[in-house]
Amino acid sequence: MEKIRVLIAKPGLDGHDRGALVISQALRDAGMEVIYTGLRQSPKQIVKAAIQEDVDAIGLSSLSGAHNVLFPQVLKLLREEQAEDIIVFGGGVIPLEDAQNLEKQGIKKIFTPGTSTKTISAYIEQAILEARGQGDPLLAGPKGIDHVGIAVYSIEEALPFYLNHLHLEVEKIVEVPSQKVKVAFLPLGNFKFELLEPLTNGSPIARFLEKKGEGIHHIALSVSSLQDRLNQLKREGVQLIDETPKEGAGGYPIAFLHPKNAKGVLLELCETIDEAEKGDE
Amino acid sequence: MGDRQSFEKWKERTEEEIKKRPERKEKFLTSSSIEIDPVYIPDNIDKRYLDNIGFPGDFPYTRGVRRTMYRGRFWTMRQYAGFGSAKETNKRFKYLLEQGQTGLSVAFDLPTQIGYDSDDPMSLGEVGKVGVAIDSLEDMEILFNGISLDEVSTSMTINAPAAVLLAMYIVVAEKQGVPKEKIQGTIQNDILKEYIARGTYIFPPKPSMRLITDIFAYCTENTPKFNTISISGYHIREAGSTAVQELAFTLSNAIAYVDSALEAGLDIDNFAPRLAFFFNGHNQFFEEIAKFRAARRMWANIMRDKYGAKNAKSMQLRFHTQVAGSTLTAQQPDNNIVRVAIQALAAALGGTQSLHTNAKDEALALPTEDSARIALRTQQIIANETGVADTIDPLGGSYYIEFLTDELEKKAYEYIEEIEKRGGAVAAVEQQYMQKEIQRAAYETQKRQEKQEEIVVGVNKYQLDDEPQPELLRVDDSLVDDQLARLQGTRANRNEEKVKAALTQLKTAAEGTENLMPFIIEAVKQYTTIGEICHTLREVFGEY
Repeated sequence: MEKIRVLIAKPGLDGHDRGALVISQALRDAGMEVIYTGLRQSPKQIVKAAIQEDVDAIGLSSLSGAHNVLFPQVLKLLREEQAEDIIVFGGGVIPLEDAQNLEKQGIKKIFTPGTSTKTISAYIEQAILEARGQGDPLLAGPKGIDHVGIAVYSIEEALPFYLNHLHLEVEKIVEVPSQKVKVAFLPLGNFKFELLEPLTNGSPIARFLEKKGEGIHHIALSVSSLQDRLNQLKREGVQLIDETPKEGAGGYPIAFLHPKNAKGVLLELCETIDEAEKGDE
Repeated sequence: MGDRQSFEKWKERTEEEIKKRPERKEKFLTSSSIEIDPVYIPDNIDKRYLDNIGFPGDFPYTRGVRRTMYRGRFWTMRQYAGFGSAKETNKRFKYLLEQGQTGLSVAFDLPTQIGYDSDDPMSLGEVGKVGVAIDSLEDMEILFNGISLDEVSTSMTINAPAAVLLAMYIVVAEKQGVPKEKIQGTIQNDILKEYIARGTYIFPPKPSMRLITDIFAYCTENTPKFNTISISGYHIREAGSTAVQELAFTLSNAIAYVDSALEAGLDIDNFAPRLAFFFNGHNQFFEEIAKFRAARRMWANIMRDKYGAKNAKSMQLRFHTQVAGSTLTAQQPDNNIVRVAIQALAAALGGTQSLHTNAKDEALALPTEDSARIALRTQQIIANETGVADTIDPLGGSYYIEFLTDELEKKAYEYIEEIEKRGGAVAAVEQQYMQKEIQRAAYETQKRQEKQEEIVVGVNKYQLDDEPQPELLRVDDSLVDDQLARLQGTRANRNEEKVKAALTQLKTAAEGTENLMPFIIEAVKQYTTIGEICHTLREVFGEY
């Protein structure tokens, strides 16, 4: 495989290059070839250097607040030179709102302070391999919501509302000894509710109930290629609870992602084998 | 005099000084009414103590450069501020003075710092962003409108074009009726650390050093109360250096400036008293205190032994501290208030002459008025409520602090020797020696943090799932248009003939060896812009 080439550039007059230098070194350590422009480069000089050096990506660093003007300039010049296949990412002192705006304008990604160099290099590698049509393509998003798990003290007490007022039906109630949980399945179209009752103290659901009380415990998304997807998430720096799929209640592979990723929501991925045989846990 | 006599003598001299300038209080008491002495000393005062530690205000100044230190008066609370237009920054200055700030500190935008006018293509996107935009004397007049320059001291973070901004300050003062002999303040004027760490250089090292010695010579004669340079470790540390590197590279740079001034024929005891220093107040509490103490002792010895300075003021290392911007986190920004307080406490315990405390939101944007006020309050609380200012060098004599002071000194001298071997700081800068050392240290820090060997609260540990987005200061982009319009107005209303004549004379002087300050002052008076002046110098000196 051809080595990934990246141009790290300091647009504008800002002289703070600690970040740019640290990223350059980290990308080199990750096996990429890195060219650093040095300070005070105009967007024009940056684009020229990127084309001359035949890089796959440009990383822009600015801490002076000039990003809103200078980063889009680089994109514009790349388009004019018909070099928009070069991926542009950025970092620095960039407020969230500006980062979102820049990403909308075509900056592939803004990395804000505190992002680990590992996450950055993994992201860049993935994006470039994808752009080259090499390696594994980035997997498409989940196909839908498979189910929502609701933690309850007692299925018996929880059921009447779902049966008598929402007029849903119980498909089955099963015990999963490995998770020390009893699960009631209530289908709703292609989706279902799962009521989760702890079988013993100290089980995951019991601990959840102790901490937060009854309520939504997790949301499960239907996906394909679960193991590949877990690998991809890991490369992207997402924190996983399960690094390899385990068997869910329905006999299908599942894995949990750490709630930190989704702002406090526990997400489950389940590999639904085909639409007709939907089910899990 | 290896006994208590030396201390009795110190006491007598201090008493005399207090008679002339009384301390903040007649008596300093703890909450339990225990009376606090000015300074605490070992039972046994031997030669080693006197040589290495001594008494406050006495060589080697390890315990402080003043006899009474903060019992006389607190450090100067000096918050760095500036953004957008001169008018808006003037408003922020007045607000800070009303809030009890005791000195001004001007942040300039990057075009000003690199000698470009606001309408230069290189200035695109940068006008008014990290500081105030100054194109000509007119902006400077607006910046200090209603602020008497004989009453405030002003620190200006300006390096490559320091001569131009100093000239503008002198002219504004004169227009206010304040003679230049009376103005007080500091220009940063430290070009070597720009090559090493901060990046706002214009000219190559040699002509840059000449500009600096021209300023030294001019100010010694004309502005005796103005600090001609603030030799800065701050940015070296921000770029990722260790405490030892900060100490060593700063003093190496200082040695280079002294050498350059001596070469230009200046007398050590004339210019050295106006050299000031600027250090970083970083996280490691005890190491920082030891760093400040070591810096004072090293400088005193270097000035006495290497340069044969006689004037005590030449040997006294006076310094400003800013707490470490690079330790501020974008995550959970309120935590930064705590970091700043602890860093500022170390600066106070280390005997700083002035202090800037950062605002909690500076990892995200320029500070809002609220966050700027909390930053100032932080140091007001340390000064007024904690009692740390009531006795001098309270940690002096601590086994750990004295050990660290000695160790930092030893390791810093090793670096200084290495730099001397390479031909001094200017040569070492050209060889990229310091740059590479810092870069390596910065990368090591990053790796340690990623491996969680070094914890950054809220970043690699104790993160919040739901990070709230704080209110940020936004610089209004319409300011840029106003700035460009005013610049056009200035150019339209001045006497073009006189501008041209001033620039021609400046160019001729730059090609020769005359002191450039008078020529720059004349150009400034004619409302010549900073871009025009620097461009003229670029033609002669070249660009780095």
